[in-house]
Amino acid sequence: MLCHECREKEATIFLKVAVNNKITEMHLCQDCASKKGMPSGFGQSLPISEMFGNISGFVKEFLPKEKKTLRCWSCGLKYSEFKETGKLGCPDCYKSFEPQMTELLARIHGKAVHTGKKYSPKDFPELAHARKKRLLEDLKKELKEAVEREDFETAAKLRDSIKDLEK
Amino acid sequence: MKIGEIFRPYISWANGQGDWPDIVFSTRGRFARNVYGFSFPPRASKEKLKELAETAMNAVKKSRLFIKAHCIHMDELDGIEKAFLVERHHISHNLASQVSGAAVVVSSDETMSIMINEEDHLRIQSISSGLSIKRVYENIETMDSQLGRILPYAYSRQFGFLTACPTNAGTGFRISCLVHLPALARTGQMAKVLENLSTLGITARGIYGEGTYVLGDFYQISNATCLGRSEQEFAENLNRVVNNLIRHEIHARENLIKGGAKAKTEDGIFRSLGILKNARMLSYEEFMQHISLVRMGAAMGLDMAIDISSINQLTILMQPAHLQTLAGRKLDQFERDVERAGYLRKKL
Repeated sequence: MLCHECREKEATIFLKVAVNNKITEMHLCQDCASKKGMPSGFGQSLPISEMFGNISGFVKEFLPKEKKTLRCWSCGLKYSEFKETGKLGCPDCYKSFEPQMTELLARIHGKAVHTGKKYSPKDFPELAHARKKRLLEDLKKELKEAVEREDFETAAKLRDSIKDLEK
Repeated sequence: MKIGEIFRPYISWANGQGDWPDIVFSTRGRFARNVYGFSFPPRASKEKLKELAETAMNAVKKSRLFIKAHCIHMDELDGIEKAFLVERHHISHNLASQVSGAAVVVSSDETMSIMINEEDHLRIQSISSGLSIKRVYENIETMDSQLGRILPYAYSRQFGFLTACPTNAGTGFRISCLVHLPALARTGQMAKVLENLSTLGITARGIYGEGTYVLGDFYQISNATCLGRSEQEFAENLNRVVNNLIRHEIHARENLIKGGAKAKTEDGIFRSLGILKNARMLSYEEFMQHISLVRMGAAMGLDMAIDISSINQLTILMQPAHLQTLAGRKLDQFERDVERAGYLRKKL
């Protein structure tokens, strides 16, 4: 069987995934598989995210359309970048792209609500404070840089954000 | 770093213990976890990755999970040493290719490990011989709970544990069994079996060797999704599926030693043993093709002069990086094939 990616070489690796009763089958040659970061050795674990994220275009195929340029408010990742790589930038991306993630997760996993192990971040009262402090430091650094390169528009926005946070 | 001095040429999780060791090679489980306040590794800066690695290492120490453990940073290793850890299932290819802040902590008995700064900040893993889903789950559950008290995990009530790739979000849980199915493959039932699996939320994966057989007839069976059901439900589902596979494989093996098929099957098995005992050069692929039959022979009670546990050890030790570590020097493919055949002649 020929490799599904390059359609030139003989496929040496196969994978079969079924999600939501949709069966995705892939046959890849060694070169294409390693290009996609898939291991080749005996019993190596399967980086399933790679398979979904890049190889099959699974994420792209199912991604909901965005209306305007969406960005994560915390790490700045553009939604379009996520579509390209299949990887999110930080935990806050889930909140920033909440409607999109809800739909995507439902399509990948069949459900979009976690029912497994619970975890309570409230055990970390100092966390919110530490995070705010860290964010403020980052913003102030960016503000300084913006002023230095005389990008006053960005500087004004940053100043607003800092004011909001310090309230 | 001298990896060969840290890890002995004996692999405790391939010792043929656990349930159904003649069919299930090993069981592995992992939790993907991220620490709040840090970007995911693919988007984090070098400095942040190093900071996270330090934070995580300190947390592991503070947790006292391991009485003795090996802390290994990827930037201390050469290519063969990284490949050695991949072959040993302690790290992934992805971690081996990372530069900044990538590390792994491996318990001294090698059944538990934590990858740091792979695709997610933490990959909490456990591996055990045979079908031992419960044990593996308990291992990672203990590590996870302990570390979760020290490190603030990224978690949302709706989406569960948050991961760099949405395919891992929710429980962040992946459980898999490496199963040896030579009889199903030889009786031409594999396609049908895989077809049946695929409606159950299960992923099956194999690597084609020469010809139509999968490398060593080993298939990795794991859960395909990890959100919307509890960890226990995912584990139970895999347990059911693997038990079914075991039943089918046993049935197929029985058919292989019935009536007229018996002589043909035994002939194939003993020929394979003969090649392993006498060959002067053996590629890993050819070795796997023959050891697979010898493994089945040993499970069927034929006199193979080697038990399942030793066969399991060999499947790990005969891989390229392990072979070079055993030899204590770099070998090209030709030299490896000679070395491999020589090692086997001594062992068998």
